Amino acid sequence: MARRDGGPRRRHEVLTVIELIEVSKFFNAGKANQFIAVDGLSCAIGRGEVTILKGPSGSGKTTLLTLIGCMARPTSGRILLHGIGKECLAGCAVGDTVEITSLPERFLTSIRRSAFGFIFQHFNLVRGITVLENVMLPAYPTGESLHEVRRRALDLLETFSISRHAGARIEQLSGGEMQRVAIARALINDPVMIIADEPTAHLDSKLSIEFMEIVAGLKTAGKSVLIASHDPIVYDAALADAVIEMRDGRLVGGGTRP
Amino acid sequence: MNRCIERHRNILDFALSSLLRRKGKNLSLLSVYTLIVFIIASIVFFTQALKREAALVLDGAPDLVVQRMVAGRHDPIPIAYRERIAAIRGVSEVRPRFWGYYYEAVTGANFTLVASNDGQPSVKSVFIGSGVARNSSLTEGDFLPLRDVKGTPVLFTVGKVFPSASELVAADLIQMREDDFRTLFDFPTGRATDLTVSIRNKGEVKTIAAKIAQQFPDTRPILKSEMLRTYDSVFDWRGGMVIVILSVAVLSFIIFAWDKATGLSAEERKEIGILKSIGWETGDVLRMKSFEGVVISLTAYLAGVSLAYAHVFFFSASLFEHTLKGWSVLYPQFRLAPVVDPYLFCVLFFLTVGPYIVATIVPSWLAATVDPDAAMRS
Amino acid sequence: MILHPAILALLLGSLLISLMMLYAGWYGARILNAWDLRSGSELQLELEKRTYLISTLVSYALAFELISLFLFIFTADRLHPLFTGAMCAAGTLNANGYGYPLLLLKMANFLLAGVWLMVNHVDNRGHDYPLIRIKYTMLLAIAPLSLYEIYYLYRYFSGLHADVITSCCGSLFSLERPGIAGDLASLPSTPMLIVFYTVIAATLFSGAYYYREGRGGYLFSALGCAAFVTGIASIVSFISLYIYELPTHHCPFDILQKEYGYIGYPLYASLFGAGVAALSVGVLTPFRTRGSMAQIIPAFTRRLTAIALILYLLFTLIASCEIVFSSFRMGA
Repeated sequence: MARRDGGPRRRHEVLTVIELIEVSKFFNAGKANQFIAVDGLSCAIGRGEVTILKGPSGSGKTTLLTLIGCMARPTSGRILLHGIGKECLAGCAVGDTVEITSLPERFLTSIRRSAFGFIFQHFNLVRGITVLENVMLPAYPTGESLHEVRRRALDLLETFSISRHAGARIEQLSGGEMQRVAIARALINDPVMIIADEPTAHLDSKLSIEFMEIVAGLKTAGKSVLIASHDPIVYDAALADAVIEMRDGRLVGGGTRP
Repeated sequence: MNRCIERHRNILDFALSSLLRRKGKNLSLLSVYTLIVFIIASIVFFTQALKREAALVLDGAPDLVVQRMVAGRHDPIPIAYRERIAAIRGVSEVRPRFWGYYYEAVTGANFTLVASNDGQPSVKSVFIGSGVARNSSLTEGDFLPLRDVKGTPVLFTVGKVFPSASELVAADLIQMREDDFRTLFDFPTGRATDLTVSIRNKGEVKTIAAKIAQQFPDTRPILKSEMLRTYDSVFDWRGGMVIVILSVAVLSFIIFAWDKATGLSAEERKEIGILKSIGWETGDVLRMKSFEGVVISLTAYLAGVSLAYAHVFFFSASLFEHTLKGWSVLYPQFRLAPVVDPYLFCVLFFLTVGPYIVATIVPSWLAATVDPDAAMRS
Repeated sequence: MILHPAILALLLGSLLISLMMLYAGWYGARILNAWDLRSGSELQLELEKRTYLISTLVSYALAFELISLFLFIFTADRLHPLFTGAMCAAGTLNANGYGYPLLLLKMANFLLAGVWLMVNHVDNRGHDYPLIRIKYTMLLAIAPLSLYEIYYLYRYFSGLHADVITSCCGSLFSLERPGIAGDLASLPSTPMLIVFYTVIAATLFSGAYYYREGRGGYLFSALGCAAFVTGIASIVSFISLYIYELPTHHCPFDILQKEYGYIGYPLYASLFGAGVAALSVGVLTPFRTRGSMAQIIPAFTRRLTAIALILYLLFTLIASCEIVFSSFRMGA
C-alpha cells in the first residue's frame, strides 16, 4: 500500500477505521472446485480518506469489499472496526473497537446498515418502485418513522439535483441519474464509510469525472470512501489518498505514483 | 418498543407493495385459495345451519315416543297400552299418533302422511306442504288422487297449502283426517303408528323410558335427546366426510402454493439480494415474506368465508343442490337462518389458513437466506 | 367421531404443530452437533441461517397451539350434547381417560413453547450466542411432546362414543367425587380465598423488589409459578362460584361462554401470560453471567417481571370485581 505524498506510512489507531489481519475467504472449501478469493491479506483503511482498491477482475476486489463492508464473514483471519462512531453492539461505547469476524449476521447487518453505504456496479436499484422509495429502503428496518426518513431522502435528492425524479420509476432514468440515486441511497442512514464497487463501469468520462467530484464532496463532509475500480480516472485521481493493489487474492506491494 | 412497531409497519408496507408488483402470480394464487376456502366454509356453514334447524324443529318434538317392534321391524302399537303408560308416575299425557309414508308412482315422490284434526280438515280434504304442491302442481281447491291399499283411487281436495316458511319441516307433508287416514291405509283398528308421551319432570325421562321398556318388552322408547344426538352426529359425520373427500383438493392446493412460493423468479431473487445488501437482515426479509403469506391467507380467508356465507344463507346453498337433490325428489326450497359462530371461524382457520402458512414457511426462509454478496456480483 | 369437522381441524392443527416442532428439533440437533461460532466455514454459516427457520417454526407452533387450545375447549363444549350426563366441556373431557391429560399436555406445550421463545429472543440479542446449546437441548426435550399430543388427541377422539354416559361438571367438580377435579373443588372456599390473596401479594412484593433491586429472581419466579397454580385452583374453588352465583357450580370452562360475558378470556389470558413470564424469569436468571448476557438478561427479566406483575394484578382485579359485585355471598 502506498501513500500519495510518498511519505513514510504512519498509522495511529485513531486514524484507522478498518483493519484486516491475515484475512482469507474460501469458497466451496474442501471440494474439487475450491476457490480462494482472498488469501491471507492484511491492510488498514484510513479514516476520512479516499482509498482505492485496484486490480484486474478476478483479483478478489469484490470479495474484499464484501468482507470489509460486513456483508460476508472471512473463512479465517480477523477484521476490526475502529471507532466507527455508531452504537451498535450491546455494551460497546461509540468510539470502541469492534471485531466483526465472528459476529452473527444480525449484528453484522446492523453495523452495515448504520455505518456503511454501498454503491454497486450495476446500481442495484429496485425496479417497480419510485426513486424516493428506493432511497428510503435501507432505513425501513431501523424502525425510524418513515416521515423522518422521507424528509432526509428528499434532502439528499435535492443535494444531488434529482428531486424532480422523486416520483419516477427507476426504468425511466438515465445512467448518470441512476448513479446519483444510488449514491443518495447509500447516504440515507448517514454512514461513516461509503463503499463503491466499480462505480464508473457504466459511465462515460464526463459522468465519471462528475462522480469523482461527488466523492470529493463526501470526503469534505468527513466520510471515508473505499472504491474498487480498474478505471484510471478513478485510481489516478489526485483525490485518492491511498491505493491498494490486488492480484489473485493477495496484495501487490509497492507501486507509488510517480 | 416503538421502534419495533415502526419496523414491522415499514416491512409490512414493503410487503404489500411487493405483492402488488406481482399481480399476476398473486391473483392466481389468491383465486384458487379463495375457492378452496369458499367450498369448505360452505360445507361447514351448511351443516351447522341444518343442525340448528333440526334442533329447532325437534324442540317441539315429544319427550318420548313409544314404538312397537315385531321381529325387529316397526309395527303399529296397540292403543290399549296408553292407559298403563299414563299410569306411570311422572307421565302427564299419552297420545296416539297416526302417520306413514305414501309413495306416488307417477312422480316418484315420497310423501309423509299425517292424520291430525288440527286446523279441522274436512272430509276427504287434505292440507299439503309446499313441496307437494310444487311437485304435483297443486293449489287450494285442486284434486289430489291417492291410491288405497286395494289400488282404488281416492280423490282428495286440497284444503290448504302450508306456507313456504315451513318448508324444511313440511315440504313433503300431507295432513288429513284420522278416519280418512284409516280408510286409505286400511289401518288396523285399535292400533296407532306410535304413542307420544309427555313427561312432567325432564330429569325423569330416562327412568320412565326404562319402565316402559320393562313393562312392554315389545316396544322401543325413543327419547328426544337421543334424536337430537343422532341428528347432530349424522350432520357432523356427513360434513366431515365431505371435508375428508375435499382434503384431496386442499392437498393439491397446498402443493400448488408451495410451488409458487419456492419458485422465486429471477427478478424476485435479485430484489431480495438487493434488500440484503443494503442492510435488511435475514430476519427482516423473512418477516416480509411471512407478511406476504399472511396477507394472502387472510384475504382469501375473509373473501372465501364471506362468499360462503352469502352462498349458504342468501342463495340457500344452491351449489350443493345438485348433489343433494339426487336423494330426494322433493328438495325443499328454504332459507337457512344465518349462523355467526366464532367457533366455526376457528375451525375454518385451521382447515384452510393453517396448512398454507405452514407450507410457505420453508420457502419463505429459503428466499430470505439468499446471500447478499450474490447481489454484488450479478 | 373423528369425522366431525372441528375434530378434523384439531387433528390437522396438531399434525402441523408436530411437523413444525419435529423439523425444528431435527435441525436443532444438527446445530448442537456442529456449531462453532468462531469458524467462518460454510457449514457454520449454513447453521446460522437455519436458526432463523427454527425460530420461525417454533413461533408459529406457539401461535397454533394457543388457537388449538381454545378450539379444543370449544369443541369439547359443543360436543357435550352427545354424551348423556355431560352439560359442558368438563363432561366431554371426562368421557374417557385421555381428555384431561390432553388438556394438561396442551397447556404445558403452550407454556414450554412460550418459555423457549423467550430464551431464544434473549440469545439472539447476544452477539456471541451464549445460550445456543441450552436452547437447542431444551428444544430437543420439548419437540417430542408435540408427538405425544397427537397420540393423545387421536386416542381421545377415537375413544369418544356418543352414547357414553359421562359425568358433568356438576358431579365432576363436586365435593364428594375423588380425583383432582373434586379435590380442587372441595378446597374450602374461604381459606382458599385467603391463600390466593396471600400468594398474589407475596408475588407482587417479591416482583417489585426484584424489579428495583435486581435480586431475588429465583424467589420471584417460584412465587410466580405458585401464583399460576393457585390462580387455576382458585378459579375452580371459589372464583367460579361468584361468577355463576351458585354455590355448587365449580366448572372452569363455562366462564368462557357468552352467558357470563366471556369473562373467562381475560382471566385465563392474564393468568397464562403471567405464568409464562414468571417461569421465563426463573429459566433465564441462571444465565445472566454468561458472556454478553450480562448486559441483556437483567434488563429483559426486569421487563418480564413487570409484565408478570401487571398481568397478575389484572387477574386479581377481575377476580376481585367479580367477587365484590356478585350477588352471591358465601356462607350466608
